[in-house]
Amino acid sequence: MHIDINRIATLAKLQLTDDEKAMLERQLPAILDYVSKLQEVDTSKIDAKAYLTTAVNVFRKDVPTSTIDERNAVIAAFPASNGGALEVPGIFVD
Amino acid sequence: MIRDAVNAGKTSAEAVVSDALRRIDEKDGEIGAFLEVFREDAILAAREVDARVKGGEILPLAGVPIGVKDNMLVTGHIASAGSKMLAEYRATYTSTVVTRLQAAGAIIIGRTNMDEFAFGSSTESSAFQITKNPHDTTKVPGGTSGGSAAAVAAGMIPAALGSDTGGSIRQPASLCGVVGMKPTYGRVSRYGLIADGSSLDQIGPMATTVEDIAIILAVIEGRDAHDATSMSLDEPTVTNLSSPSMKGIRVGVPKEYFIDGMDTEVATRIKEAIETLRQGGAEIVDMSLPLAPYALPTFYIIQPAEASSNLARFDGMRYGTRAAGTLEESYRASRGEGLGPESKRRIMLGTFILSAGYYDAFYKKAVAVRAAMKMEFDAALKKVDVIVGPVSPVVAWGIGEKMDDPVAMYLADVFTVSANILGIPGISVPCGTAHGLPVGLQILANSFDDNKVLQVAAAFEALRQN
Repeated sequence: MHIDINRIATLAKLQLTDDEKAMLERQLPAILDYVSKLQEVDTSKIDAKAYLTTAVNVFRKDVPTSTIDERNAVIAAFPASNGGALEVPGIFVD
Repeated sequence: MIRDAVNAGKTSAEAVVSDALRRIDEKDGEIGAFLEVFREDAILAAREVDARVKGGEILPLAGVPIGVKDNMLVTGHIASAGSKMLAEYRATYTSTVVTRLQAAGAIIIGRTNMDEFAFGSSTESSAFQITKNPHDTTKVPGGTSGGSAAAVAAGMIPAALGSDTGGSIRQPASLCGVVGMKPTYGRVSRYGLIADGSSLDQIGPMATTVEDIAIILAVIEGRDAHDATSMSLDEPTVTNLSSPSMKGIRVGVPKEYFIDGMDTEVATRIKEAIETLRQGGAEIVDMSLPLAPYALPTFYIIQPAEASSNLARFDGMRYGTRAAGTLEESYRASRGEGLGPESKRRIMLGTFILSAGYYDAFYKKAVAVRAAMKMEFDAALKKVDVIVGPVSPVVAWGIGEKMDDPVAMYLADVFTVSANILGIPGISVPCGTAHGLPVGLQILANSFDDNKVLQVAAAFEALRQN
């Protein structure tokens, strides 16, 4: 199976070195080949949505519970902040 | 027991913690189980526990030093999930499991090493250090909770928490010769656990006896308003496991749990363990789970898909270090520089599996097989109470041995991933050695039958000692 490593890396927003790309080009097909074993299983009669969970939605009131100290700790952990807001590189730039 | 001695005033939490710190100083230079020891905080917390005991409180974990895997948050402390990306990240809130341990009188002694973001089977994917197996320091401790397993196995601490997405509590417990349990999905809150695969992750205890596991599980389990997947329990964990009986217990042995390529000495230990259960009064039922061989490929589709989605938040914007450049360049470089090889492999794999054109063939197929496995397992568990088999097909392997071959590394999880795919409880309990290294017996049961798992594990432990 051929995998376009550059395309997947772009989708994943992941910078890879040439060595890493070469390694993944070799390893990912081997892993995908292994997991493709699943095609042997007949799932034509399986309603996957019927399983998986009996969980129901859980709701709560939207009441703030954080303290100002917690807020400040979160801001302090930002790589860059400006006046208590998260600062990021420009989004609408060429 | 530590907690009884502390509650009775025969020793103090401070003395117990000082003792643990001394043992860590003595042994961890060689083992490398801890990424950080919370020396001062642990002593301060111990003094608080001593004051509470003096005030008349009886605490279920009074003074018990517990190590916490590096993916569980403790306010003010670094929680790095074994990643360079979060090397300096300090938690701004505390995980529910830690809050509950502290309320019960336990002392959080430090954070233990792990594979980066809990991807791996040997703890070698940690960005920081290699942890060694205390039984043979040329061998891996298993993973991903290898630091927790090694710290307990080396006798540094009596117990630790791990997290288990595909075997990450049970497999290192097996390889290090301690007890480790993955509870039912939803039994323990994951609030404050750095997510790996969200439909698979579960926190659980690691210790030296089944009773200690039960006591810790009873403290950390149950509904938490902060985790919508956590459940109220009809049957809380039973901690009194004295004289557990195997009478009337039906133990299923699936033939698929003994595979080609499995170490024959490991297989022999497991068969002997099954014989021990039979002699203890259990009814052994030979059975078949035809879909069991598909558990591992199912896992290695669902887990990377979920993990690659969860790791999207580590983009250099809100946590950790940020690389320079435009937004797009910064995203890519922050992730490229901050993440290690196994994380990159899982992100690429998950992104591919979820990409247009491949989603149906991989992800949707895996979800359907998962549903089929659940039906098969539910039917099988109408005929037996528990299912037993090996935890790992092999004993601890040499450090570095499987690092260049991801598929070989993934095969280490072949018997453990079913419990995560199905959401059921499983335990690893020591059952002897092969090639001089520990072997673990795995006991599985249906969802929320955690007490059955503990009962059979305690019975097995008692039968082995007699």
